[in-house]
Amino acid sequence: MKTFAAAIVFFAAAGLAPLFVRDAFFLDTLVLMLVWGCAAGAWNIAGGYAGQISLGHATFFGLGAYAAALCGVRWNISPWYGVAIGAALAMAAGTVIGFLSNRLRGPYFVIATIAVSQILLIGASRWRGFTAGSEGIPVPFRPGFWTLGIADKRLWVWIVLGLALLVYLVQAYLERSRRGFQLAAVREDEDAALSLGVPARRLKVVAIAVSAAFTAICGAFWAQYVGFVDPVYVFSLDLSVRFSLAAIIGGLGTALGPFLGAVLVTMVETWLRAELGGLGSNLIGMYLILYGVALILMVRFAPQGIVGWARQR
Amino acid sequence: MSLLSVHGVTKTFGGISANRGITFDVASGELVGIIGPNGAGKSTLFECISGFYAPDAGEIALDGARLNRLSPDRVCRLGVARTFQKLRPFSGMTVVENVMVGALTRTKNVKHAREQAHEWLRRVGLVEKANAHARTLSTGQRKRLEMARALATQPRVVLLDEVTGGVDQRSIPGLVELVRELHAGGLTVLLIEHNMRVVTAVAKRILALHMGELIADGPPELVARDRRVVEAYLGQAYVA
Repeated sequence: MKTFAAAIVFFAAAGLAPLFVRDAFFLDTLVLMLVWGCAAGAWNIAGGYAGQISLGHATFFGLGAYAAALCGVRWNISPWYGVAIGAALAMAAGTVIGFLSNRLRGPYFVIATIAVSQILLIGASRWRGFTAGSEGIPVPFRPGFWTLGIADKRLWVWIVLGLALLVYLVQAYLERSRRGFQLAAVREDEDAALSLGVPARRLKVVAIAVSAAFTAICGAFWAQYVGFVDPVYVFSLDLSVRFSLAAIIGGLGTALGPFLGAVLVTMVETWLRAELGGLGSNLIGMYLILYGVALILMVRFAPQGIVGWARQR
Repeated sequence: MSLLSVHGVTKTFGGISANRGITFDVASGELVGIIGPNGAGKSTLFECISGFYAPDAGEIALDGARLNRLSPDRVCRLGVARTFQKLRPFSGMTVVENVMVGALTRTKNVKHAREQAHEWLRRVGLVEKANAHARTLSTGQRKRLEMARALATQPRVVLLDEVTGGVDQRSIPGLVELVRELHAGGLTVLLIEHNMRVVTAVAKRILALHMGELIADGPPELVARDRRVVEAYLGQAYVA
């Protein structure tokens, strides 16, 4: 109940902030925090609730980003179709990867997910005629809600907040529902869950597919917001790590955790880039080292994440 | 009329036959003990019945419906529940949540499942531990938890693997009593048991396995005197 109240405060603050703060840098950071929060929450559905740790969720993010961008560039149709197409493609890819999870457990599954994202990275970089290859695609800006050409960052905050609420509710459902208990059992001990009649295989596939679909929607929104899709970024291991890291720092298998984790990760990263980045700096990649250090400290001292740690107080 | 029928079940691993042509029937309401030395194939038989192993040959049926080649979760939903010899509680969950996972196989309502789980915990004598984490339980309590969890799936047949194995002497009578009560309530039970005293105390019929084969099937006093059983357990010198 306490975490539910915390969630209301969190989302209300995010929703109301644009009414009072007009600073473009602040709003930009807020949009990105929410996008990464949604992606981390989506990752948490598979990684946290179902226990299927993936380091290839960039696969789905990239599919969504490309679907939205290509709808505008190649077919001149609304990126909203891209959102739907990206989600559908990611769901299909998630189903395939879900079936893999029934064959491969633990580290083997993790490696397989990385491999899939790398295959798409190479595919998108080489298929010049369609994806424009490794040069990337600038997403055309056509003003309007239907074309997702929105200059007002406040509007973006609210659009992404809508998605965030949806992702939060799906996770909250997994915390207290029948399917949630069954998934938790699968995560704890798959064979024991099977022996109690839990359709473990089907549940894992569905969890991964749903997780994939939400990740793709994040990718599509992100592409429209940022305005440029680059295969080396959207299919990168970096991005996959970012989603999982935010979820782990926030609290695996908690509904609010991934959002809090994303806020923290984004804040630290933005600050470090501003402090240490810039022309001629030798410390531009410093934030990656800090990612690693943060993860080690987290796993050592608060393996249940921020939310798990707060619950124990 | 037989409820569970096992016919010609064979399972080999490499060159070793863990089960060879095992055939028996269990009637509704029976309590059947399964004995045999280590490596006799008792647990393999349970794995085959519960769907974790696919037998290489033979048929397993519950009330006429074929079980072999079904996945373990389907077998459970059809009405065969089991416990594990090596205990496998969901350690990160509370005791009542462990049992709820079983109950949720039969009800979609989480609240009902919680009520049913409490009822099962009361029956196995664990209700005061309901909100404790499963990892804090003793071995004897974990055995009870495994039983409660399996029974919450409302099975028609329950396979209990080594109920008293690894449990301290003082807890054994309570567990034996529990099995007896469940059976008295009409449950059909297959019980793997090392402890001859336990098995003869509860079972009216015993199956003896040796080297993957069924070597005796009958009332305890006859099976205990069976020449091949004595030979399997104690070696040839003891055959009178």
